[in-house]
Amino acid sequence: MIDNFALGLTHALMMLAAIILMRRRDLDDEAPAARKDERPGA
Amino acid sequence: MSGQVRDLAFIGFLVALLGMGLRKPFLFVLAYIYIDIVSPQRLTYLLLNSVPISLIAAGLAVGGWALFDDKRDVRVAPRQFLLLILLVYCGISTLHADFPIAALDKWAWVWKCLAFAMFLPLTLRTRLRIESLLLFMILSAASIIIVGGIKTLASGGGYGELNLMVTDNSGIYEGSTISTVAIAIIPLILWFTRHGTIFRPDWKVKLFGYALAFSCLLIPIGTSTRTGLLCIGLLAVLLLRDAKRRVLYITGLAAAAALAVPLLPSSYTERMSTIQGYQADASASTRIAVWEWTLGYVKQHPFGGGFDAYRGNHIRYDTVEVKQHGDQAVVDKTLQVDAARAYHSAYFEMLGEQGWPGLALWLAINLGGVVRMEIVRRRYHKSTDPGEAWIAPLASGLQMAHLVYLLGGTFIGIAFQPFVYELIGAQIGLDTYLTRRRKETAWRPMPPRTSAPQPALS
Repeated sequence: MIDNFALGLTHALMMLAAIILMRRRDLDDEAPAARKDERPGA
Repeated sequence: MSGQVRDLAFIGFLVALLGMGLRKPFLFVLAYIYIDIVSPQRLTYLLLNSVPISLIAAGLAVGGWALFDDKRDVRVAPRQFLLLILLVYCGISTLHADFPIAALDKWAWVWKCLAFAMFLPLTLRTRLRIESLLLFMILSAASIIIVGGIKTLASGGGYGELNLMVTDNSGIYEGSTISTVAIAIIPLILWFTRHGTIFRPDWKVKLFGYALAFSCLLIPIGTSTRTGLLCIGLLAVLLLRDAKRRVLYITGLAAAAALAVPLLPSSYTERMSTIQGYQADASASTRIAVWEWTLGYVKQHPFGGGFDAYRGNHIRYDTVEVKQHGDQAVVDKTLQVDAARAYHSAYFEMLGEQGWPGLALWLAINLGGVVRMEIVRRRYHKSTDPGEAWIAPLASGLQMAHLVYLLGGTFIGIAFQPFVYELIGAQIGLDTYLTRRRKETAWRPMPPRTSAPQPALS
């Protein structure tokens, strides 16, 4: 009972995280960091 | 019946995760991490036992990276070379081991652990990947920690008594090891309650995070491990450094301790009180005797005896107990004889098995992590860029996790605990990621090509 609760909860969260990651383009590619002089207020 | 349902649930989970990896190959890496920590094949009865799921996930992770991942500007950190040298060194020591068959057994999993730690940072090219790696590490460990936490609350546990779902308490399921890991990840859990982007830090994430951190604190109590208590003490001191309101933090800590002590199970307080009277305690005395044996052993074998060299030891030591008889104190010495006692310390494990060069390499890899995270922490601590606010706290959390491990490792033979090597992989990944970002801010040949990091979907 306790085992299945803990396993169910953590596995559901991992599955949810995986689904969210599938929809995030920045998983594989990020925009290059802005140069210091390009940043607003820099 | 319920066993079969659980089997099917595990299989469904793995198939779904690996299926998603076909579209986003980085998920293969996460699947490997999950399998490595949780070992679902140990929790199932039939189906998964016959399939080498760890090997399949490792193959997919490496293959997915080699075939599909962007490898422009791949950076290799010096610590990855050190891991490689340690890997080769351990391979050679295995060939000349005192106990060749036992050494081969250990080599079979150690090389995978070291090789994956070298590979992992190559895949950590984005902030989101670093975050998702840590999230999967924490949630995987949480599947054991939540079980332990609830059972501790329900029963109080006891040394070697807490049932963590598997019968042979080896690997991360072993009491002292899971205690150390549980305490080590607390700073990383706290990081997720402030800076996570996969699950945006709303009240639900904070509630789960704090409950999980509390569960982590219960593990050393449930398993009655003395090492875990020391780790909690160290963590309390380390967290002080990042606490914004220190007086409040210390007051809260003292109040929590005062409240907790009367509630602790008596089996726990009795065992903890033996930390002081360690001379009367066979478990602690054996450790010291084995450590002395190891120091003597490496005088003759400075390059170590290969994996499991401890099997050659024969130790004799006295347990000393002072008993009060009226006004007189009587010293009661009992001779203990023992053989083939394990090192019970990561440091002596490295020294005895891999000799002085092996210990030096291991220390360089581990202390290197602590030092690098300190450098990163200081560099980004004062950054006013809100886009960089996550960096210093993460470096600090990874450093604290590592220091807790290095303390726990003093009393447990966990020199090659895969969880820790994944942590080291995350440190190196963060380090090389930031170096790449710094280079981009200094010089950029082309306009932005891809999307900016997206906000969390929650």
